[in-house]
Amino acid sequence: MTLARKGHWTTLVGLVLLGGVYVRAVVFTPVERLQGPAQKIFYLHVPAAVWTELAMVLVGVASVVFLFLKDPRLDRFAEASAEVGTVFAAIVLTTGPIWGKTVWGTWWAWDARLTSTLFLFFLYIGYLLLRGAVVDAGARARYAAVLGICGMALVPFIHLSVYLFRTLHPQPIILKPSAPSLPQSMLVTWLLSFAVFTVLYVGFVMQRYALGRAREEGDRA
Amino acid sequence: MPDVPHNAGYMVAAYVTTALILLAYACSLYRRAAKR
Amino acid sequence: MGETLRHAWTLARKDLVLEFRTRTAILSAVVFTALVLMVFNFGRDPSAVAAIDLAPSILWVTFTFAAMLALNRAFQLELDNQALEGLLVAPISRTSIYWGKLAANLVFVAVVEAVGLPLFVLFFNVPVADVLGPLVGVIALATVGFVAVGTLFSAMLVRTRFAELMLPVLLLPFLIPPLMGAVQVTARLLAARPLSEVAGWLRLLAAYDVVFLTLATLLFPHTVEQ
Repeated sequence: MTLARKGHWTTLVGLVLLGGVYVRAVVFTPVERLQGPAQKIFYLHVPAAVWTELAMVLVGVASVVFLFLKDPRLDRFAEASAEVGTVFAAIVLTTGPIWGKTVWGTWWAWDARLTSTLFLFFLYIGYLLLRGAVVDAGARARYAAVLGICGMALVPFIHLSVYLFRTLHPQPIILKPSAPSLPQSMLVTWLLSFAVFTVLYVGFVMQRYALGRAREEGDRA
Repeated sequence: MPDVPHNAGYMVAAYVTTALILLAYACSLYRRAAKR
Repeated sequence: MGETLRHAWTLARKDLVLEFRTRTAILSAVVFTALVLMVFNFGRDPSAVAAIDLAPSILWVTFTFAAMLALNRAFQLELDNQALEGLLVAPISRTSIYWGKLAANLVFVAVVEAVGLPLFVLFFNVPVADVLGPLVGVIALATVGFVAVGTLFSAMLVRTRFAELMLPVLLLPFLIPPLMGAVQVTARLLAARPLSEVAGWLRLLAAYDVVFLTLATLLFPHTVEQ
């Protein structure tokens, strides 16, 4: 089976499993008493946020190794991870305000997770725009790697500045969005959802990677 | 004991949006591969 | 190491001599800064918000835009005369090219800030006399961060399509954390509050400078490889 086909199937499996997570989250996981059913957005929002950041770290790591080894496969992987990271960031940035409206009373608040994800979103967009703007393939890979590494290096500063900013301006939350210790069944639902998002990440990256490889071969022909 | 908030509509909106984004991206990848 | 610094200094001097001989770039940047300050003044309702509350933000947004203008022209000189190729075959290390460009950009931005700050004080009636030293310190700290990353990115973009548009889009996410720190520290200084309150932000600014100066120095050669 080609990589593209394997990717298709992995994604398909992931989507089916996501349906299973949906059922478990909505029907078989208890409703949080203070926040109501909207709290269940947590089961999609947080795994997506974790993978948005993980995808950026992977872009950074692949970029570092690429600059040492110059293997185009690493550049292709970084490109794929960046695009998938953007999609997951979009999920965080849409589910976040929907959840936020019920918890904060407003569609947006500069809370740690939304702010960090917004930063990551712009870093991803910049990365993809840069790739689109460089015509020469060799230069494109090098420049993207430089940007990817800088992006990864920025992540701790994003977290630090968001943390410092929030201690200045306590957020007007009425309820705490995520409880520090989850009851067993909620934790299991969360873990299952995270596992499914992992499967989706892998499937998407495989497909995007295969697409990148096909494009390069097409360009060379 | 306060009532549980009735905000299931928001939950549905978020779940549907997530599904739509993921399905749209999956279709985009599939179509881009098919074109090659 | 010493040779790298000497080469860097020679490069920086060459750039600065060119810049200040024609003076167009520096004058435009200074005028731009003054105009941005003016826009901020008329962009607010003076009866609604006190100048002192907005002042730190106004100063730093102005400096951020001025820095980006300055960086946009950073590699333009080389590009125009294909001098970049000449630089690359010269027997100087890539590192000295970066540090030379960095130094030239820092001087350029410093001149713009040196004019912008008094204008800012004048237009917004801001009490800086007592805190001028620390204020200049935090301006320097943040500016080094801005220019370190900006010099790296402008080197990458000089031969890229839509470079003038790409630079702000790529650079601004990187400028926001040090910008936040600079605004907070400036606000404390203008309110005559002790700097110990913003120790966290100062550490962030210092760490940012160290990390990104190092990273840019290491990564710069990859942006000009042939």
